[in-house]
Amino acid sequence: MVAASLPPDIKQAETPAPYVENLPVAPTIAPDSLSTDLTQSRIEVSSSFQGAKVILYGAVFQPKDQPSDVVVVIRGPKASMRLIRKTQHAGVWLNSRPVVFEGAPGYYMAASSQPLDRITDFSHRRLLGLGLDYIAMDTSRENKVVTRYGVKDVVVNGLEADYLDWRRAVIRLKSKAGLYADNPLGVRFVDQNLFRAEVTLPSEAPIGDYTAEVWLFRNGQPVGYSEKTMTVEKVGFERFIFNSAHRHAWLYGLACVAMSMGMGALASRLFRRG
Amino acid sequence: MEIYLPIAEMSVNVWLMAGLGVVVGFLSGLFGVGGGFLMAPVLVALGIPPSIAVASQAGHVLATSTSSVLSYGREANVDMRMGTLMAGGGILGAIAGVEIFRILRLLGQADLMVALLYLLLLGTIGGLMLNESLRALFRTRQGLPPERPKSKRPVWLYSLPYKMRFPRSGLYISVIPPLAIGFTVGILAALMGVGGGFLIVPAMIYILRMKASVVVGTSLYQIVITTLVTMILQAVRNHTVDGVLAFILLIGGVVGGQLGIRAATRFRAEQLRVILAVIILMAGLQMGFTLFVPPEDPFILAPTNG
Repeated sequence: MVAASLPPDIKQAETPAPYVENLPVAPTIAPDSLSTDLTQSRIEVSSSFQGAKVILYGAVFQPKDQPSDVVVVIRGPKASMRLIRKTQHAGVWLNSRPVVFEGAPGYYMAASSQPLDRITDFSHRRLLGLGLDYIAMDTSRENKVVTRYGVKDVVVNGLEADYLDWRRAVIRLKSKAGLYADNPLGVRFVDQNLFRAEVTLPSEAPIGDYTAEVWLFRNGQPVGYSEKTMTVEKVGFERFIFNSAHRHAWLYGLACVAMSMGMGALASRLFRRG
Repeated sequence: MEIYLPIAEMSVNVWLMAGLGVVVGFLSGLFGVGGGFLMAPVLVALGIPPSIAVASQAGHVLATSTSSVLSYGREANVDMRMGTLMAGGGILGAIAGVEIFRILRLLGQADLMVALLYLLLLGTIGGLMLNESLRALFRTRQGLPPERPKSKRPVWLYSLPYKMRFPRSGLYISVIPPLAIGFTVGILAALMGVGGGFLIVPAMIYILRMKASVVVGTSLYQIVITTLVTMILQAVRNHTVDGVLAFILLIGGVVGGQLGIRAATRFRAEQLRVILAVIILMAGLQMGFTLFVPPEDPFILAPTNG
């Protein structure tokens, strides 16, 4: 009765980042039973960049009678997000105070050889951060210390029961932008031992370091792990402009102004003659 | 043809952006307004982050205004003294406005404020202009002489101290009203991300009652100075000026701007004012509309930088 009246454990959906050393690897399986690579480990963002498609492929050395499952998780650089909720007051839609989500990846894709809930149980998915429902994100700025049921110094999240709505909204909005995705059939076995997964990066994909985590599951247990990294970076002219704007802001600003006024003056001259 | 924008960190269609530049440039050349109030909402609708849209379109406003002010300047239609004075007030206002905008953004209220300002200012000004210009047009159609202003100039304009002569505008007034107008417009311009021509022009006509022939040229001159400062401020403080986006927009803008200036000679001033009034009114109502329409998704991601 007491347990039923407790508030929902709103922190439940948050998961720690996966740590390889926490892995309950079965001792009989050699760690080199999984081998993976990406077709591109460096993605160059130039003027013509319109997103990229990277193939992750890998080989599992598995016995015929014990088929295994593969889960691929791609995580982009972490970025804090500010989320606002619109609410209606007297017919007008107003904005709430923004809620800051920290620690969530700027890009996330989980591809697997079959739906994640059929591969492994809830606790593994949560621990390893497999699937959109288990992306680690932190709203600790909303936390406050209260006394509940006579217990002092209980840390609760200020969003209370709305927490899941906010969390789901982050995932919904990011998915809409093509930055978050679950792809339950994204890992395809080409033959018994060889698999591949496609990673689609939209042109809005954040710049920075990405990791590709590949988990091998057998009978619901993780038995193999492999990690590859990938960098998305600006090159050439794009890099030059970005660096100028950040490192030589005054010069860059003046150059932009000079360019704008110069073009305006030029046009005025050209048209006068014409 | 798609191109990746290094600051906005997304790719856009070059022809779409250049086309937008031409259309807005044409209108700004035609009416003598910066056109920012039309461009910012379109850029945001196309997915450009608002802070980058506002900062980068300054390049377009600057280019078309420079081009136009040079054309008007050749015909001696710019009151430098008045323009510089108003720009001085405008720069102070812009500095204050950029700070207010930053605070509003942190509170998550910036877009609400922008929508409200658009509705109130553009709605009011558009409505007043439409009323006035339609009446003027009606009178000329009927062959009546143009309506004379009831009192030629407000008395308080003359009772203020620090008077200065503005020969080009045909005025001998205190420097306080032009400075105050410049300051107010500067704040609003920074908040709304626009040059402020649609506010300056009516203020010059209806409050200062400047000579009509110098109004457009002088407002453009004032916009050049204010926008120049705003663009540098944005680049230095917020790093939100996307040079590539600015370049594409302004290439279209200068061409459109020159075409607009040519087209302007074919229309009567009252007719132009009716069209401008309708455009301003529609832009205001469209932005204000968003306040009353249930959002597609009650949650929105706000920009993190700044």
